[in-house]
Amino acid sequence: MREVCRTMETALRKFWRGVREWCGDTAYETYLGSARQPDSSCVRLTPEEFYVEQLERKYSRPNRCC
Amino acid sequence: MKSVGKFGLWMVIAVAGATALAKIALQRGESLSAIWFVVAAVCVYIVAFRFYSSFIATRLLALNDTRATPAERHDDGRDFVPTNKWVLFGHHFAAIAGPGPLVGPTLAAQFGYLPGTLWLIAGAVLAGCVQDFIILFCSIRRDGKSVGEMARDEVGRRGGFLAQLAVLAIMVILLGVVALVIVNALKSSPWATFTLAMTIPIALLLGLYLRFLRPGRVLEASVIGVALVLFVVVAGQWVAESPAWGSFFTLTGITLAFALIGYGFAASALPVWLLLAPRDYLSSFIKAGAVFSLAAGILVVRPHVLMPPLTRFIDGSGPVFAGKIFPFCFITIACGAISGFHSLISSGTTPKMILRESQARLIGYGAMLLESFVGVMAMVAACAMTPGVYFAINSPAAIVGSTPEAAAATISAWGYPLDAGTMTGLARAVGEQTLLNRAGGAPSLAVGMAQIFSSTIGGDKLLGIWYHFAIMFEALFILTVLDAGTRVGRFMIQELGGHVWKRFGRTSWLPGALLSSALIVGGWGYFLYQGVIDPLGGINSLWPLFGIANQLLGAVALVVATTILLKMGRLKWIWVTVAPMVWLVTVTMTASYQKIFSANPRIGFLSFARLLASQVAAGKIPAAKLADTQRVIFNQRLDAVVTAILATMVTVLIVEGLMQWYGILSGKGDTALHETPYVRTRWAPEFSGGVRGDV
Repeated sequence: MREVCRTMETALRKFWRGVREWCGDTAYETYLGSARQPDSSCVRLTPEEFYVEQLERKYSRPNRCC
Repeated sequence: MKSVGKFGLWMVIAVAGATALAKIALQRGESLSAIWFVVAAVCVYIVAFRFYSSFIATRLLALNDTRATPAERHDDGRDFVPTNKWVLFGHHFAAIAGPGPLVGPTLAAQFGYLPGTLWLIAGAVLAGCVQDFIILFCSIRRDGKSVGEMARDEVGRRGGFLAQLAVLAIMVILLGVVALVIVNALKSSPWATFTLAMTIPIALLLGLYLRFLRPGRVLEASVIGVALVLFVVVAGQWVAESPAWGSFFTLTGITLAFALIGYGFAASALPVWLLLAPRDYLSSFIKAGAVFSLAAGILVVRPHVLMPPLTRFIDGSGPVFAGKIFPFCFITIACGAISGFHSLISSGTTPKMILRESQARLIGYGAMLLESFVGVMAMVAACAMTPGVYFAINSPAAIVGSTPEAAAATISAWGYPLDAGTMTGLARAVGEQTLLNRAGGAPSLAVGMAQIFSSTIGGDKLLGIWYHFAIMFEALFILTVLDAGTRVGRFMIQELGGHVWKRFGRTSWLPGALLSSALIVGGWGYFLYQGVIDPLGGINSLWPLFGIANQLLGAVALVVATTILLKMGRLKWIWVTVAPMVWLVTVTMTASYQKIFSANPRIGFLSFARLLASQVAAGKIPAAKLADTQRVIFNQRLDAVVTAILATMVTVLIVEGLMQWYGILSGKGDTALHETPYVRTRWAPEFSGGVRGDV
């Protein structure tokens, strides 16, 4: 029973993480992870700067279809 | 033993699919359960994904998981972001699934359920999924280059420029047509107009929340936004019932058209975080919820399809749009089977986020299968209502009349019994003044969805709420396509203009931004206005034009894919892209020819213009309508010219492609592939994107 609960909990955690990634909630965390890479040369943006910059980029190319 | 079991399972799936397809194709005279459609589609998709996409992945493309993808090589946490395959599948599906697979099948239901359903399934499996998958693969191998850039590199400079122009042209036509679908759904409907209007302040509120209060907290903002949107769907009924507010939100088609044009301009010129992005978040959540609810509703309610497999309108005399099954069923279905526009998404964000080449199969091929399934569900929802009601909602007043009595008499005479009281009662039940003459597909789909949802929850009491929820869902994400498309169109115009005047190309330069926004909005706004004043309802002229433009872009993508495959030495399997390309070119060129030159005024733009001109010359048009008629004559000629330009551009590109193919096959031409060089992946085979850097 405990095993089943643990499996369910892991699955739910993964699902929740997936939903957050899908909607963009984790975008800044991902960006920070990338900026921490040893070979990364980018200047680290604040959450506000990153949010606006990311949207500007996303909506400057076709990203919604007919 | 294990392999015998596997073989048995695949045989069961194949036989179940074949049985369901036979049931759909051969059933005559009795209504058919929607479950047969679900079984047929799902079994064909499973078999196609397992075998055909696997064949393409291994034999044609030779996907290589030891090769580092752009997401690994350029990982910057911004554009190039290694992403879990299921999350990326969700991203890709949300990007490709627009109003097309809902509206197209609904309109094509005028031929009966059979031709549209078969094309939705076969077209997706053999053409749409193939295009999306192969273009995604090609873009992954080229650092996420767009289809236009790949056309320039692999087919030739002229090809690249033409592809860019074709994208801009399709964008203008697409935006005009989808805006017309919203106008036809909202006109004289205070409930729906209020609901949609309120999504603008809700989106602005979310924009400010996400920008200043909780930057980037998309999930919590979206939950608040969805709750507010659901509240305004319910509140719309109170507004519609209030005499003062009800009349304030009762708008004509022309007023709505100008309101949308103003909105499009604002969304394009305002900062993206304020209106466009928050609306997109709302739309994505509601889209996902509504699509899964529709699937669940169909499985629970198992509605019976009341539309016959083939209607009398296969002869080309259809009231929704004129033209025979070939080529117009294929042009009308468009995105549910194959969409040229998908090639822009497959060569946009997705290739920059994919972890491994092998995942292109699930994301490129698999997401398009899901889109096709959405189209099949839309077909079921449209065909689950009585045919008489379907034709009354979707036919223009010029054909069936504008009163319930006139419509009932005309449609009953076609052999689809309809009582005038049925339309009046249905309109009252869904909280509308009338449901007649609402060509565009959205209202009839909303009625179908509302009937399915209310059979699950709420019964007839909630029919009005469900109808307006469905209208809001369709209009909300059409509006998202409208504002996102307008902004992208603005950037394209600035990019093209930047070649002539450098300053104009700077997207941050305000006069340039305003001028380019005005140009793109003026372009689609013109098509919208022409649709609103069209005596045949606009959809008859504009939806085929959109379908032609979209399918021609698909042909362009397949020319690019074929050229690359030939350069890769895959001549033996080249039919995989050549067959759908030949089919698309045949369909679109036939449709283009008929739309320009057909002697039938309901089909041919020029013959309709001639007919109206002769009526003007004979003094048959009243003086009050003379100016409008002259405008319609001009618009019909303009549509003919636009169709001819699109067909010519694609013909030039195909000729360019053929010359390139001859050069490759004869060994005289440029056979160099413009792929990025092979770099071995540093990621462990089991890396799924969950933890960064597990080398």
